[in-house]
Amino acid sequence: MSSFAALGRPSRFAALRRETFRALFAAGIALIVAFVVVLLTSKAPLEAFEVLLTAPIAKIRTIGYWIDDAVKLTITGLAFSLVFQARQFSMGVQGQVYVGALAASYVALSPLGATPFGLILGVLAAMLAGGIWGFIPGYAKARFGANEIVSSLMLNYIAIELANYLVRVQLRVRAGVLTSPDFPPTAVFAPLIERTRIDLGLIVALVAVGVVWFLLYRTSWGLKLRLVGHNARFAEYAGIRSTAVMVSAMTVAGMLGGLLGSIFVQGQTYGKITVLFEGGLAFEGILVAIVARSKPLAVPFVALAYGYLRQGAQLMNVRTDVPAEVIGVVTAIIILLVSSSYSVDFFKRLFRRNGEPTPVSNAKPVEGAAK
Amino acid sequence: MAALLEAIGIGKTYPGGVVANDGVDLVVEAGQVHAVVGENGAGKSTLMKILFGIEQPNAGELRLDGKPVAFANPREAIEAGIGMVFQHFSLVPSFAVYENVVMGSEPRAGIRFDRQKAIAEVRALSEKFRLGVDPLQPVRNLPVGQQQRVEILKSLYRNARVLILDEPTAVLAPQEVQELFVAIRSLVEQGRTVIFIAHKLPEVLEISDAITVMRQGKTVGQVKTSDVTEQQLAAMMVGREVTLRVDRAATDQSQLVASCRGVRVVNARGADILSDLSLNVHAGEIVGLVGVEGNGQSELLEAISGLRPIAAGSITIANENVAAMSVIERRERGLASIPPDRLSDGLATGASVAENIVATRLTDRRFVRRGMLDLKAIKAEAVRLIEKFSIRVGGPSQAVETLSGGNMQKVVVARELAEQPRLLLVNQPTRGVDLGATQFIWRTITDARDAGCAVLLSSADLSELMALSDRLIVFYRGRVVAAFINHPDLSPETLGTYMLGLSTQSAEDMKAALK
Repeated sequence: MSSFAALGRPSRFAALRRETFRALFAAGIALIVAFVVVLLTSKAPLEAFEVLLTAPIAKIRTIGYWIDDAVKLTITGLAFSLVFQARQFSMGVQGQVYVGALAASYVALSPLGATPFGLILGVLAAMLAGGIWGFIPGYAKARFGANEIVSSLMLNYIAIELANYLVRVQLRVRAGVLTSPDFPPTAVFAPLIERTRIDLGLIVALVAVGVVWFLLYRTSWGLKLRLVGHNARFAEYAGIRSTAVMVSAMTVAGMLGGLLGSIFVQGQTYGKITVLFEGGLAFEGILVAIVARSKPLAVPFVALAYGYLRQGAQLMNVRTDVPAEVIGVVTAIIILLVSSSYSVDFFKRLFRRNGEPTPVSNAKPVEGAAK
Repeated sequence: MAALLEAIGIGKTYPGGVVANDGVDLVVEAGQVHAVVGENGAGKSTLMKILFGIEQPNAGELRLDGKPVAFANPREAIEAGIGMVFQHFSLVPSFAVYENVVMGSEPRAGIRFDRQKAIAEVRALSEKFRLGVDPLQPVRNLPVGQQQRVEILKSLYRNARVLILDEPTAVLAPQEVQELFVAIRSLVEQGRTVIFIAHKLPEVLEISDAITVMRQGKTVGQVKTSDVTEQQLAAMMVGREVTLRVDRAATDQSQLVASCRGVRVVNARGADILSDLSLNVHAGEIVGLVGVEGNGQSELLEAISGLRPIAAGSITIANENVAAMSVIERRERGLASIPPDRLSDGLATGASVAENIVATRLTDRRFVRRGMLDLKAIKAEAVRLIEKFSIRVGGPSQAVETLSGGNMQKVVVARELAEQPRLLLVNQPTRGVDLGATQFIWRTITDARDAGCAVLLSSADLSELMALSDRLIVFYRGRVVAAFINHPDLSPETLGTYMLGLSTQSAEDMKAALK
């Protein structure tokens, strides 16, 4: 991956091979466990497993489902990668998706939505709203020391319930329906392939990958962000305002979350806002970011692979006797397995806060003494 | 008669292939002080961990009283009569000395903890070995030197015949070192044996009877202390002749570069860390900040570099008050700083050498224009500095965490001296780096001084301060208590009396040396 960039490690190909092998290995184990679970719960386990493995590419329509999932997983994976690289632990993508979707919906359903600028204005409004939603926990942390994990999770609930409320009382088609009217065509992403869910969002996601990569590895903001992530104390000492970097990283990640909200409601899949449209997908960006080691160029590949498993599991639920609950178990085991081969190291790094580094040399500080 | 403790052909390879010990021999005679010396990374600590049962050797044999032994854990080593005092103490600060000493093997009366007996036993031990520790004091009230002796008491209470001291003098002021040596001699007189790990050769020559020299995981040789000189020992340690002197050019020191006037720094609870502190640094001079750690030297350097706000007073660099400026604004005015702990403050170890080298210059138009990195220029700068400072690294894109401690420190030094600074702050420049790298860093600092840089140097190593400084300013509890112009007759003991607050200098003497 050239995300290791010119200033990355020299052994980038070796590292790439190693990482790819680890990801495939984890995916292999996940499949084996999934098979065991299917074996225990299905009367026709082989058929069920075949659905899991092959259904997503069986038809053009299911390929559409898969690619649509991968696009959305890419964006949320990018958002998480960005905050993880700054060693922040903001969990707010879900909330940003809902406020972004709300903002996009209000624009799309306003007179502006019917103009040629309906689409782009909706996207911009969503990114603005998501950015604000990302900024809040960052600012609260910088200003008051509020833990960003807690505050971003709370903001998720606020956003979800706010969206529920507004859809039910304001945006609904009529009383008792949990969706808004369809957006005008000028406010919806154009389809790339007819009769599938694949739309302009795919292009947007690919552009987002490039932009995030560029920001991280080619701009001084990105270098500052990564230095803060490596060692915030060092960054301060070097004259980098680590709190400003931290807040800006969370804000930019929030804009990506808002963008994802717009891709949800303005995409071919919906073209309108509904209650709980997101279905928990935003959170799965954590998994994508962990497996991709927060490297933006690796994110779409991980999103494709994970999206495939995810779609396969959903189709297995629909078409076979494997009940929905088992799908949940399989998904959880997949997440656990795929992430566990990474997360030991990952969480060690993440919680090595305030710049306490892991001991890499035998040089110990001598100050010592019982404090 | 067999030696008390022998290690024969010890080999230890850590997972990951790091060979820490490779055929190490150690013969410790009963009733002696046996010093083990060597550079950082020579394998001293690993050997001690093997003797104390923390690590198990892959090869070789330990013998105690001539009989082969193997310790699976420290408890077995303690039962065999071996005790160890680490650099980092494991004491409960809120507990009294006697409680810390007996913890884990308390004397009992029935099922009750027999406090009176514990106090009496600890007091008796302390008197017997002239350790001079009051058993009833809470440990948190004790100075570092006494805490160390509490650790020694812990081992003695468990009947240690062999006591391993891991770099015991690193944390002590000169007077405390002397007190420790009194205790060590008293231990040996009464039949105990001491293994003393150290890197300060004069101390080793003063206290030990025999010396084992280690280099790169091997024993270079064992010598009787009376047979060697400091130069010979140093040569054995590094494998080449070294000069422990620093040559300094005469410089023009008339121009004031930086000054602090009435600086006050307070901690989170509002108590003074520095009170009404004033000092000047001139171009071409090194001013050494002397003091036991924790008396405000580090905080002063942090305040000057902009990492710590000051509550009162002014700090000027080149006639400009920088007290309200950010770190980067101060750096743009010619400030450079080598922090005390390269891993926690001085480097982003996960980032590449090149990224670490430009981290302080991200407002420099050579490297960043309109927010974009100029990767070519950054790489060229890194290559230039890698060559200039002979950093052993595969290339500018290698991660810093893969370098040795000495080379990591060179990355820090290279970055800070990439441009000739006006004012250089140096805090513990050679802590935990080997003799070869120490020499290199010393020369780099003196070169900066000779080229007209003003240097403020703080170090826990008094000999380093005395070797490098033009003037020495002694800190005690956040105040300047003495100031000296460095000259060969100035002794560590003189400085020590001020460092420990035992005496204060007259106002005229101080003024003369404060310039």
